[in-house]
Amino acid sequence: MTAVNGKGSAISLPISIRNVTKTYGTFTALDNVSLEIASGEFITLLGPSGSGKTTLLMVLAGFIRPASGEVRFGDRDVSLLPPHKRDVGMVFQNYALFPHMTVAGNVGYPLRLRGVAKSEIADRVQKVLALVQLGELGTRNIDQLSGGQRQRVALARAIVFEPRILLMDEPLSALDKKLREQMQIEVRHLHQRLGMTTVYVTHDQREALTMSDRVAVIDKGRFHQIGSPRDVYERPESRFIAEFIGESHLVAVSMRGGTAHYRDRPLQLAEPPRHPSGQQFLVMRPEKLKLLTGGEDGLNVFEGTAREIVYQGESTLLYVDLPDDVEVAIRQPATSVGPALPAPGTPVRLGLPAGDTMLVPAERAP
Amino acid sequence: MTTTSLADEVGRRDHAAWKAPNEAAYRRRERSETTVLAALAVPGLLLIGAIALTPIAWLFWLSFRSGSDFTFEHYERLLHPTYTLTLQTTFELSFLVTAICIALGYPLAYLISQVRPRLAGFLLLLVLFPVWTSLLVRCYAWLVLLQRRGVVNSWLQDMGLIDAPLRLMHNFTGTTIGMVHIMLPFMVLPLYATMRSINRDYMRAAANLGASPVKAFWGVFVPLSFPGLFAGIIIVFVLCLGFYVTPALLGGGRVMMWSMQIERNVTYHSDWGAASALGVVLLAMTLAILWGVGRLIGFDRIVGGR
Amino acid sequence: MMGKCGGAISLVCTALLLAAPQAAAQEKKTLTISSWGGAFQKAQKEAWFGIVEKELNVVIKEDNTSGIADVRTQVASGKPTWDLTTQGAYSCALLEKEGRLEKFDAETMKALTDIPTTIGRSEHCAPQIVYSVAIGWRDKAYPGKVPEGWAALWDVKNFPGQRSIRKHPIYALEMALIADGVPMDKLYPLDVERAFKKLEQLKPHVLVWWSSGAQSAQVLKDGEVDMVAAWNGRIQALENEPEGKGGKIKTTFNQQIIVSDSWMIPKGAPNKELAMKAIAIMSRPEVNARISNYINYAPSNTKSYDTGVIPKEKLPNLPNSPENFGKGFVQDNSWWVNNADAMVKRFDAFLQR
Repeated sequence: MTAVNGKGSAISLPISIRNVTKTYGTFTALDNVSLEIASGEFITLLGPSGSGKTTLLMVLAGFIRPASGEVRFGDRDVSLLPPHKRDVGMVFQNYALFPHMTVAGNVGYPLRLRGVAKSEIADRVQKVLALVQLGELGTRNIDQLSGGQRQRVALARAIVFEPRILLMDEPLSALDKKLREQMQIEVRHLHQRLGMTTVYVTHDQREALTMSDRVAVIDKGRFHQIGSPRDVYERPESRFIAEFIGESHLVAVSMRGGTAHYRDRPLQLAEPPRHPSGQQFLVMRPEKLKLLTGGEDGLNVFEGTAREIVYQGESTLLYVDLPDDVEVAIRQPATSVGPALPAPGTPVRLGLPAGDTMLVPAERAP
Repeated sequence: MTTTSLADEVGRRDHAAWKAPNEAAYRRRERSETTVLAALAVPGLLLIGAIALTPIAWLFWLSFRSGSDFTFEHYERLLHPTYTLTLQTTFELSFLVTAICIALGYPLAYLISQVRPRLAGFLLLLVLFPVWTSLLVRCYAWLVLLQRRGVVNSWLQDMGLIDAPLRLMHNFTGTTIGMVHIMLPFMVLPLYATMRSINRDYMRAAANLGASPVKAFWGVFVPLSFPGLFAGIIIVFVLCLGFYVTPALLGGGRVMMWSMQIERNVTYHSDWGAASALGVVLLAMTLAILWGVGRLIGFDRIVGGR
Repeated sequence: MMGKCGGAISLVCTALLLAAPQAAAQEKKTLTISSWGGAFQKAQKEAWFGIVEKELNVVIKEDNTSGIADVRTQVASGKPTWDLTTQGAYSCALLEKEGRLEKFDAETMKALTDIPTTIGRSEHCAPQIVYSVAIGWRDKAYPGKVPEGWAALWDVKNFPGQRSIRKHPIYALEMALIADGVPMDKLYPLDVERAFKKLEQLKPHVLVWWSSGAQSAQVLKDGEVDMVAAWNGRIQALENEPEGKGGKIKTTFNQQIIVSDSWMIPKGAPNKELAMKAIAIMSRPEVNARISNYINYAPSNTKSYDTGVIPKEKLPNLPNSPENFGKGFVQDNSWWVNNADAMVKRFDAFLQR
């Protein structure tokens, strides 16, 4: 149905989103966004609720028609194509499994619509159910399935007709933590095996980092950073990204003569600020900070007062109040070595290696 | 600091001094709670028994009595052609009215379920409006509209569409029109309730999987609306079986319903036994239909379980 | 009490004694009468109930009945609340046969002497009014022609158009036989086969089988049908009403089927002696005649026409006035009492085929 072009392969298609805008009255859900997704890529749209990530996914699926802009699958402009002609698989947040059909009925539905022969349908349904490890459950009714099983059926149904593009709208959000982490790996493996271009929507930054080739962080209808998981975590380009991705506290610094200063002391930086205009912030991630007991060579030092200890099993967090009402946290792995944590109320000294420093601007110019 | 002292405090407690409630005590408590709940239901059950079941039992008893003797004569009497013909009419009319109510009510309920909530509320109000009007008033209104010199025939004649007035009233047609009008809300309401609760993601999923709007409607939306449809069918059909006023007023006297035979037996013959037998047969047929449909699709689905 | 009266307190005593009759008045007996309600019951109240209350020094409590089943239920309960009720003469005959009525005493029977037995007078039934089933038609439908008898109802060639007759065999069989040529005085016992055969001819032309008097009048008034067989009071009311869609309405007493409504006392009625006295009063010619001044129904007592209570110009409208009585015949309740059940079943089956 969809033409195979030079760039795309038989199993996947690139997606091109160009200058797409969608407004609801005075609310702008998507503000002139553009994104190129490579064939076979696993990209995650990451953002808080109301950021526009789901709207963009619905635009790709064809359920929402943008006010302006263009969407291409491969060479084909699909902007005006109705959803049932787009040939993309989709996993819904609530799975949207048809309760009046069995598991096999649900998974076979897109094949029946495509006029596939009965025997072939049974065959392909069985294969894809085996792929998602539900080989035995074809005759079950939907209401007899657990949450994880439903998730797998939804996935099976979305891929059984071998779409070259797969859309997933927070598919794991209804699962408990352990199952969710297991499914993250499974979905990742499945993608590696099948290779279709996958657009994954989530508000869980951890999930985005775990699964994606690239992460596109979106907020208020705009992309704030698009890059590899390592990029967006290690090299956030704005205060919003630094705060949204991973745990971090920001400390305002002043720039003087190309050097950053904290409370009039120059800081040792790994690199100069990438976006030097405006107020700069030093990103303090708990796992990068060290609790100082004596020697402090090569470290930027921060002095404050221990406030609270939070025990988290595999690690312990110590919250520290710095001057000027700034709060930071430091994570101590649960090992027997290392200094004992100071009691709340006692003065502490924290060190940040120059290699672990990052400066972000308050707001990045678009 | 406080944590430590609390732990110490607990440690010092003399556990032997505690009297832990034993299993028997727990069971006793559970039993007493069950008893209280059951006791709460008693007045309701008594009321239902008094106002619903007693008359039915009395009806049943009467239908087998002649004077002080046990008899089947009231049931044998029902073999007379007048009753078999009436039974046939009753079912024909009920089927026809139910079918038309589906044909009219389904698109209507669908429309209401798809529009904005405020408009839906307004449309529902319009659907419900006739229910608040007296049955008799509505029947007479149809009489005025559909009779030989009524509004409809006058218009049609004035427009030159017909030469002689159509016979729209005082027959099966008129009865059907009047009953559909009365029954339609009972079809639309359960349908609407079910349709509104169908998550739109189902239709999106169907479209996404390649179903055209028409295929998605028939393959997904319609099956998902079945609980409401079945509820509507059962309500309308069962109500039709026992209908009296509309056929009596609009049927021109020739549309005989089962309920009219009951009335005739009571008023003309004052034959409570025969009337009771008729009532028992109607009740039995209704229960049989409910049972049959229940077996077919499951009661939980009719009541809207899923 | 009297013994204690005297001296200074005699004045108080006198006052007490004077008050006594008044107290008695407040304990007047109550006579419960049920009737058809509406205009008819209102006419009964105006014409009769006031006189009864005064003469018997009772209070009449009114109730409504919707038919014979009410009487059966009341009697079956063993404690009827009605002392007196109105039902059709045929119903009365049926109830009489079933033994559900109080028998009148000799004095009451004497008061009923001038009510003919032909219209249903018996030891349990006291006809109070007379009415008839007659032909009513829309004048516009048959200019210059008059449907003079039941044959006209069948004659769709000379009198085309839709008909309406009662959804009950009780007048239909008689009409059919007369239309088929049976003389009015040789009707009973009815030739059922012949009657149904004749009815079969009329069936396609009956638009409405009416089940209430109001309905029979409505379809004629609206012009739904051109000819009805209906109760004379209903048709005559249309003659006087402003014209409806159907135009002017006319009627004739030719071949009228004369029927009556009777007073009866349900078995076990609480005040049956009083009820019999009330019947006697209401059957007196000069009292009985009063009903026609309030509604288009005729008195049952033949002497009523000699009292002068009924104005002359009213006489042509009353089915049993000397000039009209001979035009029709009186329905034979005794035949119907024995055959109604079978006839209704057969008629209902006939209707539905």
